[in-house]
Parts: sequence; structure tokens; C-alpha cells
Amino acid sequence: MSAAPRSASRRARIRRLPLHAAALLVFVLSVFPVYWMVLTAFKPTRDIQAETPLFLPVSVTLDHFTTAVGADGFWLFWRNSLVITASSVLLALIVALGAAFAVARLRWKGRRGFILMVFIAQVAPWEALLIPMYVIARDTGMLDRLSMLTLIYFMITLPFTIVTLRGFLTAIPVELEEAAQVDGCTRAAAFRRVTLPLLAPGLLATSLFGFITAWNEFAFANMLIIKNQDDRTLPVWLSSFSNVFGTDWGATMAASTLFALPVLVLFLVLQGRVAAGMTSGAVKG
Amino acid sequence: MKIRFIAGSAALAAALALSACSSSPGADAGPERLTVWIMKDSVTEDFLGRFTQDFERRHKDIALDIQIQEWDGIGEKVTAALASTDAPDVIEVGNTQVAQYAASGGVKDLTDRTEELSGKDWLPGLAEPGRIDGKQYGIPWYAANRVVLYHKDHFTKAGITTPPATQDAWLADTAKLNKGGIQGIYLPGQNWYTLAGFIWDQGGDLATRSGGEWKGTLDTPEALAGMDFYRRLQALGKGPEDSDEAKPPQAEVFAKGDVAQIISVPGGAKIIEESNPALKGKIGFFPVPGRTSDRPGAVFTGGSDLIVPEASAHQDAAYEVIKALTGDTWQTDMAKTMSYVPNRTSLAGAVAGSESTAAMAAGAAQGRATPNSPQWAAVEATNPIKQYMTAVLTGTDPAKAAKNASDSITRTLGS
Amino acid sequence: MSTAGTARTAPGPGRVPGALWPYLLIAPTVLGTAYLLAYPLVRNLVISFQTYGMGELIRGGAPFAGLANYREILADPVFWEVVRRTFWWTAVNVVLIMVLATLVALMLQQLGRRTRLLVMSGLVLAWASPVIATTTVFQWLFSSRLGVVNWLLVRLGFDSYENYSWFADGSATFAVLVLLVVWQSVPFAAITLHAALLTVPAELYESARLDGAGAARIFRSVTLPVLRPLFALVLCLEVIWVFRCFAQIWAISKGGPGDATTTLPVYAYRIAQSLHRYDLGAAASTLTVLLLVGVLVVYFRQMFRQEGEL
Repeated sequence: MSAAPRSASRRARIRRLPLHAAALLVFVLSVFPVYWMVLTAFKPTRDIQAETPLFLPVSVTLDHFTTAVGADGFWLFWRNSLVITASSVLLALIVALGAAFAVARLRWKGRRGFILMVFIAQVAPWEALLIPMYVIARDTGMLDRLSMLTLIYFMITLPFTIVTLRGFLTAIPVELEEAAQVDGCTRAAAFRRVTLPLLAPGLLATSLFGFITAWNEFAFANMLIIKNQDDRTLPVWLSSFSNVFGTDWGATMAASTLFALPVLVLFLVLQGRVAAGMTSGAVKG
Repeated sequence: MKIRFIAGSAALAAALALSACSSSPGADAGPERLTVWIMKDSVTEDFLGRFTQDFERRHKDIALDIQIQEWDGIGEKVTAALASTDAPDVIEVGNTQVAQYAASGGVKDLTDRTEELSGKDWLPGLAEPGRIDGKQYGIPWYAANRVVLYHKDHFTKAGITTPPATQDAWLADTAKLNKGGIQGIYLPGQNWYTLAGFIWDQGGDLATRSGGEWKGTLDTPEALAGMDFYRRLQALGKGPEDSDEAKPPQAEVFAKGDVAQIISVPGGAKIIEESNPALKGKIGFFPVPGRTSDRPGAVFTGGSDLIVPEASAHQDAAYEVIKALTGDTWQTDMAKTMSYVPNRTSLAGAVAGSESTAAMAAGAAQGRATPNSPQWAAVEATNPIKQYMTAVLTGTDPAKAAKNASDSITRTLGS
Repeated sequence: MSTAGTARTAPGPGRVPGALWPYLLIAPTVLGTAYLLAYPLVRNLVISFQTYGMGELIRGGAPFAGLANYREILADPVFWEVVRRTFWWTAVNVVLIMVLATLVALMLQQLGRRTRLLVMSGLVLAWASPVIATTTVFQWLFSSRLGVVNWLLVRLGFDSYENYSWFADGSATFAVLVLLVVWQSVPFAAITLHAALLTVPAELYESARLDGAGAARIFRSVTLPVLRPLFALVLCLEVIWVFRCFAQIWAISKGGPGDATTTLPVYAYRIAQSLHRYDLGAAASTLTVLLLVGVLVVYFRQMFRQEGEL
């Protein structure tokens, strides 16, 4: 009696075998480089240089992290990066929220032109602007200032932030706000009490994008911070680090791990909300 | 006009909003803070420490902030510094790169100080690139030739009593050394200064000028012969084909103890001893061998000049630093600790009598420089020679790779 | 959509007339864009019409050069080769990204809850890792000595990969860079497309199946139409990102060996920063922007049409 269904389910399982093999392959391929980075960072040098690579942490050492952190001023650069990344992302969020609201909820003359401007700003060739930006910073006395970097990172992330936030905003039914207004709220209060909480996942997802972009930026940080070496950022330091340590892959990977850490932690903390936000934002975007 | 106004006020507003997160460069009372850029591995930390201490003791009103710079990407860095409004006050620049900065107008003219700095006796290989139209912008600091540094124990064990004097003997000895866990020579694939020497030995050059036009000449038979020797030598060790002597720092590789020879400036020995004191006294020197025993190999004469940017806010104090660094005391000290050639011939006696200097002096007679074009620094910046070397060492047809690299050099020098 | 209902002026707080609100809200964006994007772009354009080298950068006073820089660039055979390579680079990467991402998205749809979560977190991990860190990791994976890729290839019987220097050969370096960029870009595209697939109502599949449609048929007539708008968006974003890709190439190969991985952004950077010909670099980057805008004109037009509907 039960023979037929069992063989059917086995057949189904066999049919799904390639699918699961593919899933496993995708998982391994996407995780392996990150895994290898962390693993190398914890491996003793002797194991790193083994002729046959070790794929599991047999013995673990913190030596490479000590080298990386002890290199010089690591925490200073880490803090610099964190401060300018966070402030530029925050600034971009606030400014973009206003713009996204105007675009998604209000009707005004020049709206189309504004949207076009934002879209074009998204394809801005930032590397090409190094020299003009340098000249502008110099002529306004902003060289060697973290605030100039913050402004640039703000502008790099702004167009994308506006576009995504607008997507999230249009996904939230305007009727909710209107209902609150009927109940006697001002427009601003209605937005704050009703829309903003619904927008939270979107804000988080968007800020994560901005965070990654600003956290990674190298060219401007390298060009605009000249004399105040204490104001260098982590990517600049990391690049000199891989110069200094060359093929000391353990230390280099430890440094890379420490560099990736804040983004990954942020991602883990926000993961649930971000996934939800990304889905709705992307679909409407 | 309008855009500029709006832009300006936006910047102002933003700057005000953000001033909380920028550290303001202190203009507080106290000693004048001088920033000095020194290239990595130019001198030892110990030397810099002693110099700073002594300098600050003599100049109570000046505090030195010495920042070590990497060679990689240094061209962009120095340019950005020269063009800024508050540049570092003293910058060390390589003798192959100083000409372009001197010509740029961003470097202070120090012609009226040459006499005080004994400019008459300066080494021409350092003084000339720093001089444009009779004005002296770059002040010579030190020069050094490359020699072979060898691990005496490994030589003894391999039964080699006298260092090789010809290229053939050098190959044979290195093959003998390259046994067991020992590398006969650690020669990274992109040590192009060394290749230049081998090419000069064969009678070739990196680039030549005819009728005002520069042309890359890596594809001549002489240059190809030089590359072929490099290839055979490089194979007698585990130097990476795709990297240069700075990645990883070859001194640190040697310091691990299983390398028999490296090609380096004699000062490399100090860096090695600093990282592995157990090697003290075990490092020997001999000139890079030539094709015949009567003449050592041609070598690249490297060195550095010191410049004061026009944009430096403390030019007088900066000059004091240069005066001290190029003065008798520290020139002699540096020549001894780093085994460098002092910046002027009158101090040659300071380093007489040491083994490393003897090796260097022998080579110095055959010292050569890179092609004398202000655009040469641009060639170094993208360095097709390094790529050419890696290509040959990994099996590409040398003639074809050489042709590509030569074309690239021709284009850059002609732009 | 029904946002038209909100067009009436809102009773804004304070004494600001309602009609001014939108302009106040976008003012920071407009000002920021003007000062930090438009103004530098104009400066860049001006530089491209001047003679502007290291001396001019330091001393100022650059003379006007007319179209000389553009003439020099356009007459340079290397430039045209770089243009061709850039298009090739963009095409290879974008096609690989889109195909793989679509496959992964379709696969995610078929998976059970737990497996899907696992694969998703793997993708997110790859996507969230900072570019600089992963670029360094790829250099380590493909390192000639002790690199795990060489070890694996030798293990699989390709003995010629013993200590193979990936970054010494033009096409090998190109391949590694493609791999890196595809690896970094697929997660975003796949997750976004997967999200789009979720919006396809299950009934549609159901009825298609009842009509006796096969898997291929269902994909063509149900999945594809739903996917199309978002597919177009992702495609355009990837084109922009890949075309402009600079950090990865510069960190790994600086455009070498030779010119084998020099794309337009790398070319412009190299001319400006290494040769100190800021004028030529500015001209090259202006041409880059024009090319990219040319490629994306279709995208802009579609975006604009959609905006018009709002």
C-alpha cells in the first residue's frame, strides 16, 4: 500500500538532486573566498605555507591579528573610517528622505527635471573627478580634512539613496497618511508617526548600501589626505599594509578580515529587516 | 558666478555642520612642527631616532614629525603635496624623479644656499637632476650602488672561498649554493635596476635618443642577452616572478636565513640585521660580477635628493633640517650606518676601509643612470619593464615581449 | 498610481506657503549636486580644453588649448583599442552576471525554505564583503605560490598550473578580474530578481500548468513578462557598475600586464595620475561619460517614461 508513494517521493528526491547540488555549489562558491580569508587570518604561518592547503582550522593563532593591529595607528584609522562613513551615510539619509518625499508624495513644477538629474547623477564618473575635486578642495581650504571626504562620500551615496528611498516610499500606501491627517495630525506628524516606522527597513537597507560604498572608497581618501597622516582612512591604510607586508598573507588577511568586520556585523544585525526591505524596495524600485 | 556663490555657501554650510568630525590642524603655540617625508628603507629607524633627538636638542623651537612613505604611488602623493597649500616641509625624492618636480615650479629654489652646503663637491649624479636652468632645487642627500649581499655561512658550506668575479662563475657558484632548503639567490622577477645593469654590461640600454626622439631599446640583441642572463640567474632561487624587491621586502626574506645572496644597496645589510640580529657579522659584500674578471658589472647608481616645497609653511626651518641632514656630522654617520656614498666627494674618506664600501666603490666606477629624460619618471610609474620581465620569466617569447615594452617606453617618453 | 490625490497643498507647519515645500525639501540635494558633482564636472570639462600638466596644477594659469587634447586622444590608436576592450569587458561581465543571476534566482524559487535561507545568506555574505577586502582575497587565492586555485588545478591534473603566475598573462588576468567582478555582482542581481519572482502570483503558474505548458513554456510566457521591467533595471545598473569598474582593476593589475586589462576608467586615471597629463585625462574621462550616456540613453528614456506615469 505504501510502496507506490514511497517510490514516488524517492523519485522526486532524485529529481531534485541536481537542484540541491546546484544550491550547494552556489553556496560554496559564494562563501569560499570569505571563508578562506578568515581561515587564513587565523592559521599559523606554518600552515599557510603548507604545500597541501588546510581547509579546516586545525590550529588557531591570533598572531596575524596582533601584527595587523599593532602595525601602526590601526584603531585611529578604523575610527576615522567609521566616523566619516557613518556621518556621510546619515547626512545622505536625511537629505534623501526630504527629496524622496518631495518626489513620491508631492506634485510640483520641475519634478521631472529633478528626477532626471538624480538618475544622471547615478552614473557620475567619480574617478574622473579626482583632480577637479582636489583643486576645489585646495582652493576652499578643505585639503587634509575629513569633512571634505565626508561631503564627497555623501554625494557619492546620495543619488542611489534617493532612488531607493523613493521606491520604498511609493510602496507605502499614501492613504495611511491621509487617514492620520483626517484624525487631526499635521502632514509632518502623519509622516513621522505613520510612514516613518513603515519606512524603517527601507532606510536600513539603503544605509547599508551607502555604508559599503563609503567604507570602501580609496581614491579620494588617498588624494585628499596628504599631510595629516593621522587622518588616513582604513582602505588607504590597508593598501599600504599589503605593500608593507607583501606576501605575508596571514597578516594581510587578518587586516582584510578586520576591514570587512563592521560591514558584516552590520549586515548580520540588520539581516532580517534588510532582506525584507530589499525585497520590497527592489521590486518597486 | 552664481554657481560659484551657491557652491561656496553650500560648502560653508556643510563645513560648519561637519566641523565636529574634523580634527583641526593645531596652530597652537609651542615649537614649530615640521613634517618630513622619508622613503621607506632609506635609512634605519635607529638613525632617524638619533637624528630627530639631536636636531630637536639643537633647535628647541622646532619639532620634527617624520613620516615614512611607500614607493608605490609616490608620484601622485608628492604631486598632491606640492600642489597643496600646506605641504610637508622637506621631502626625499629619488634621483630619477627629482627632475620633473624641479621643473614643475612647486619646489623652492635653493641656489643661493649651494655654497653653504658645499655644492661644489656634490656628486653630479644627484646634483644635476635637481638643477634646472642653472637653479638648484634638489639638494643631494646620498647615493648608493647595488652590490651582492651574501650569507657567509652558506658560502663556506658550499665550499666557495672567493666570491665570483665573472658572470659565468657567478652562475656556477649560485647553482652550487641552490641546494636543499637554501636559495642560491633571492632575485624577484621585477628587479629592473638589476636588469638595467646586465643590459648595460652587454652594451645595450633601456632607451636611446637620436635626433631628439627617445626610443625604447629593450628589443635589441644586447638587451635581450642581458635579460637572458637575468632569467638564468633568477631561476637559481625562489624569487617570485611577478613581484619586485619591495614586495615582500627582500631584506626580510634574507633575514629568515635560508637565502644565500640578494642584490641590494649595502645599507640593506643594516635592515637585515635590525630584523634578525643573529645575522650580525655573517653578511658579506662583493661587486656585481661583470662579463670578464677585469671589470665588475655595470650598476644603477641610485640615490635621493631633498626638496622644500614652495607650499611649505616653514621654509626656513625646513632648510635647517636639510642643512643638518647634509652636514658633515650626519653625512658621515649615515655613510657609516647605511654604507651609503656621501653626497659630496670631499667626504669619501668617511667610509673608506669597510668591506661594503670597497664593493660599492668598485661598482661605482661602472655606475650608470636611467635615461636622462624628464618623462622617465612617467615610465617608472607604469613600468612596462617590470611587466616585460615577468612575461619573459613566465615563458612568453622574449623578442615579442621586448618589442611591446620598447614601444610602450617610446610612447611614454614621446608624450 | 494614485498619488495625484496628494497634490493639494499640504497645511505645512509654520508660515511657509505649501507650494514652497517641495523646493525646500529638494534644496539640499540640488545644492549638494551643484557643488559636489556639477561644479567638478564643469571644472573637469574646462581642464579638458586647457594645457594642464603638473606645472599648471601647482602654479595655476593653464592656457587654453582648444580641441588639442581631444584630437590627441582620438588620434591615439591605444584609445580605440581601450574603447573596444571596455565594451568587450562590459559585455562579458554583464552577460555572465545576468545569466548566472537569473539561474540562481530561478533555483532559489525551487528550493525548500531552509536550503533557500542557507544559499541566500551565502550570497549576502559575498555581496556585503567590502570590495577592497575581497580583491585582496582574490589575489591570495590566485597567488602563484601557495595559491589555493593553482593547488586545486594541479590536483585536478592540470600540471602546468604548478606555480602559475596568473597576473603575468593578459588573458589570465582578464579572466581573474571577470571572475572577481561576477562573483561580487551576482548576489545583488540574483536576490533582486528572486524578489521579483516572488511577486508572480502562484495561480498564474497553476493555470499555466493546467493548460499543459512545459517548464520552458511557463518560463517564457509567465516568468519572463513579470521579470522584464526589473530585469531591465538590474541590467542597466550592472552595465553602469561594470563599465565604471575601477577599484578592482587598479588594485589587481593597474591595467596590466601591458594594456591587457586597461578599460576606459583605468586609461583615464593612468594618463592623469602617472603621466601627469591631467588635460588628456580630463578629455578621456569626458569621452567616457559620453560613451556611457550613449549606451544608457535607452535606460534613461524608459525611466523617464515610467516617471511620467506617476
